[in-house]
Formats: sequence, C-alpha cells, structure tokens
Amino acid sequence: MIQNIISKKNSFANLDDAANVVLSLAVFIGVWQLVFMLGIWPKIALPSPLIVAESFAKIILNHTLLQGVGVTLGRLLVGFAISFTLGMLIGFTMIRFKGFGKTLNSFSAGLLSFPSIAWVPFSILLIGFNDLGILFVVIMSSIFSIMISTYGSIRNIPPIYLDAARNMGAKGLSLFSHVTIPAAAPSLIVGIRQAWSFAWHAIIGAEILMSIVGLGHILSVGREFLDMGQVIASMITIFTIGLLADRLLLFKLEEKVRRKWGLDYHR
Amino acid sequence: MTKLQAKNIVKTFDHNGNSVLVLDSINLNVEEGDFVCIVGPSGCGKSTFLNIIAGLEQPDSGEILLNGKPISTAGPDRTMVFQEGALFPWLKVIDNVEFGLKIAGIPKDERRLISQRYLDMMQLTKFADSYVYQLSTGMKQRIAIARALAMDPEILLMDEPFAALDSQTRDLLLVELQLIWERTKKTIIFVTHNISESVVLGNRVAVFKNRPSQIKKEITIDYRRPRLSEDENLQKYYHQIVQELKSEVKAQIKDEFQ
Repeated sequence: MIQNIISKKNSFANLDDAANVVLSLAVFIGVWQLVFMLGIWPKIALPSPLIVAESFAKIILNHTLLQGVGVTLGRLLVGFAISFTLGMLIGFTMIRFKGFGKTLNSFSAGLLSFPSIAWVPFSILLIGFNDLGILFVVIMSSIFSIMISTYGSIRNIPPIYLDAARNMGAKGLSLFSHVTIPAAAPSLIVGIRQAWSFAWHAIIGAEILMSIVGLGHILSVGREFLDMGQVIASMITIFTIGLLADRLLLFKLEEKVRRKWGLDYHR
Repeated sequence: MTKLQAKNIVKTFDHNGNSVLVLDSINLNVEEGDFVCIVGPSGCGKSTFLNIIAGLEQPDSGEILLNGKPISTAGPDRTMVFQEGALFPWLKVIDNVEFGLKIAGIPKDERRLISQRYLDMMQLTKFADSYVYQLSTGMKQRIAIARALAMDPEILLMDEPFAALDSQTRDLLLVELQLIWERTKKTIIFVTHNISESVVLGNRVAVFKNRPSQIKKEITIDYRRPRLSEDENLQKYYHQIVQELKSEVKAQIKDEFQ
C-alpha cells in the first residue's frame, strides 16, 4: 500500500514536472526570439529559433546528425565501460592494500580536477590522431572519479553492517557481493554519475579537436563555416542527450536505491 | 553440559597511544540452555567481551571454548543481536531474516520455511516485504532477533538489544524473549546496563567491575517465569545488584572526570 501511495504521488509529480518543463521552454524560446528581434547581434552571430530549427532539419535530413550521435555515443560507451571496470578494480585494490590506497587517493584527487581538454595534446602525441586517442582522453577524464568514489564509498560503510554480516558467516567474496557493494551503492552511484558527466565533457572536447566525425566534429564544422544555426543545433543535441542519459538511467537508479534505503524522506 | 567457557580473557585497547587494560582475566561458564545476563558500568568492556565471544574481536590472551572446542573467528554458530539492530537497509525484511541462510547456501524453499516460522514467532509476517525504514524501532529489534534465531545458533548473543526502545515496547519484548527462550531452549548471553532488565531475564547475572574489568559477582535468580519487570519479588535481586554496582559506577565516573 505504501508503495502504491508513493507511485501515485510520483505520477502527479511527473505531470507537474512536465508542465514546468514546457513552460520554461516556452519562456526561453520567447526571450530568445525577443532578443533576436531587438537586433543587438547580427543574424549570423545570433540566429532566430526558427533558423536553428531549419539547421536542425538540415543535419537530420542529410543524416550527419544521426551518424554523429551514433559515433559519439559508441565511443563514449566503450570509453566509459573501460573506465568503469578499470576504475572499480583499482578502487577495490586501493581498499585491499591500505598504503597503496592512501597514496593513490591523494594522487587521483589531483587528477580529478585536471581539465579533460588538457589530455588532448598528450594523447595525440602518445597514441595518435585517431579513435584510440579519443578513447584515451575519455578514460583519463572519468576513471579517477570512479576510483575515488569506489574507494570512498566502501571506506564509509558503517562497520556494524560488516560485523553483522561476518557474524552470520559472510566472508571473502560473499561478504563483498552481499554487503560491501550494496552498502556502498548510494554513494557509489553519485560518483558514477559524476564520472559519466566527466566522460561526456571529455568526448565532445576531444572530438572538436581530434576527430573528423561525431557530435563534437559537427559543432566544430559549424564554427568553421560560420553556421551558428548548426552550432546551436548540435549544442541542443548534446544537452538533450546528456540530460536524458542522466535522468533516464543514472538518476533513476539513484532514486531507486534511495527509496529502498528510506532516504527519500529528507525534509 | 557446559556450552560456552571463557578462560582468562584479557583485552587491552590502544587509546591515544596509551594501552588501556579493559578485560582483566574474565572467566565465565555458561551451561547449555542457560540465560546469562551481564551488567556493568558503561565502558567496562561488557560489549567487548561479547564481541570476543562472537569472534568479531580477538582477545590478547585467554580462549573461548564452544562445546569444548576453541573458537577463533566469527561464525554463525554464535549469532549476535546488536544494539541498533544492524539490519540491512537494502534488503526487504524477509531477505534480512534469510541473510545468513543464504550465505550458508540453503536453498530458497527451505529458507522461506525457516524465515516464515520466525516472522510468525515475532508476529511480523505481514511486514515480510517491507523495507527496514518502514519499521518502528521495536519491530526492527524483533526482526534482528528473528534473523539471529533463523541461523539456529548454538548460542544467542545479545548486546543491549532493547536499549533504544521505549519502556512499554521493552516490557513487551522482555516477556516475549522469555517465551522464545523457553520455546527454543537456546543458550543466551545478554549484555545490558539496565539492572531490572537483567533481573527479569537472567537465570544468572554476572556483575562486571569497572575497568580493568573482572566478574565481581554472579547472582543466581531462581524465580518463576515469565517474569514481569514490575514484580515486587524481583526487588531484592535488583537491590543486591545495585549494591554491587554502586561502587563500580562511582569508580567509573571518577575515571572519566580525571
């Protein structure tokens, strides 16, 4: 019954949210149109919403957009999968070997704030002007966030959970999979969301500078041909994909865990 | 038959670089089916002693014998009910109760039978699919007891399990626990700082001294069950323990203000 009430409440909230989104979008486009009509900037620097819509239609119809999105998402998923797996494994190793963990934790903190674009020259010279080079940038930009959050989330598990589990006979792998991972999950997911957004920043940056296909490349072509319509259209695409991935996947996951734990009742 | 034997248990803690002697040679024998309560001033090491029996902490010297055999690691033959319940918030109530059985590799059908039995015993069957946050503190402690009993342990260890409860709920659970003990014939060691709780529950009450701790006195309470905490006839045991503890609590307070 409680579950029922919660889901009912959520569907009302969703309706409310949808109305808010439509309203905000309408206001945004309205202000944009107004600024356009005031003529502060030349048309080439700030096109109207309609012109951008036309550019959108153009890159959709000639398939550049779909192809670009496909390439970018493909690279992103491969890069993120590698950085997720590797980052988790290194994080677990950091827990297992305390001295190593402590050292690597401070080291990673430095690299966490390192701008992803700054990896580009290094990657071009080390690996080359190719897909692997782009993957390298994506991995280096997101792996430290995964490592640090794996390490931190496990270290912050209340000891009583581990004591209780050991008391009931859990140890080694069973302790790890039945207690360590689920107990660390709420804060681990926050770190994964952060890593995902870092990877997303990195892929677009890397594609602008070192790719001849992909969303970042479409953006950079728009700049070269002074086609602001295309620039804004690709920016909107990037924004939308980023938002959808977070809301539909990662945020959903986080909400699910928080609900289970009863963390949804913060006032 | 002797179920559990603690022999010369010594434990020191490191406190800001100083070594503090907490348990100074504790000896305790617990018979099969016995209900032993441990009381003592706060910080005297009674929970530490219980953790050592559970195998969650290692003593500096001395040993614990279970059925005559020394134990060294934590194990499901000595399940513990913790003060805060320590239920897992990511699992439903029923999965919490079945946790240890699952770890032991018991098949699902069998697990369901066992967990149903103990949920019934605790009158919490209809909360089987709830999550922990949906329960009151009293319900959480009952689930924790069900979880510990489901393992069918040799000995049940309870570390101030009722300390966080309101007094009405505690009184109910004090009776309930006695009935469960009579029904399951489990050997129980129950740590508490609440004297009346120990008098209601224990066949025997072991009074711990202030740090460095030893067992100051063991008091046998031979009285019919189920006992109620308001029973006048328990008063004399209560006062006897208060007398024993008075000087220890004074010593403990003096220690803390030094």
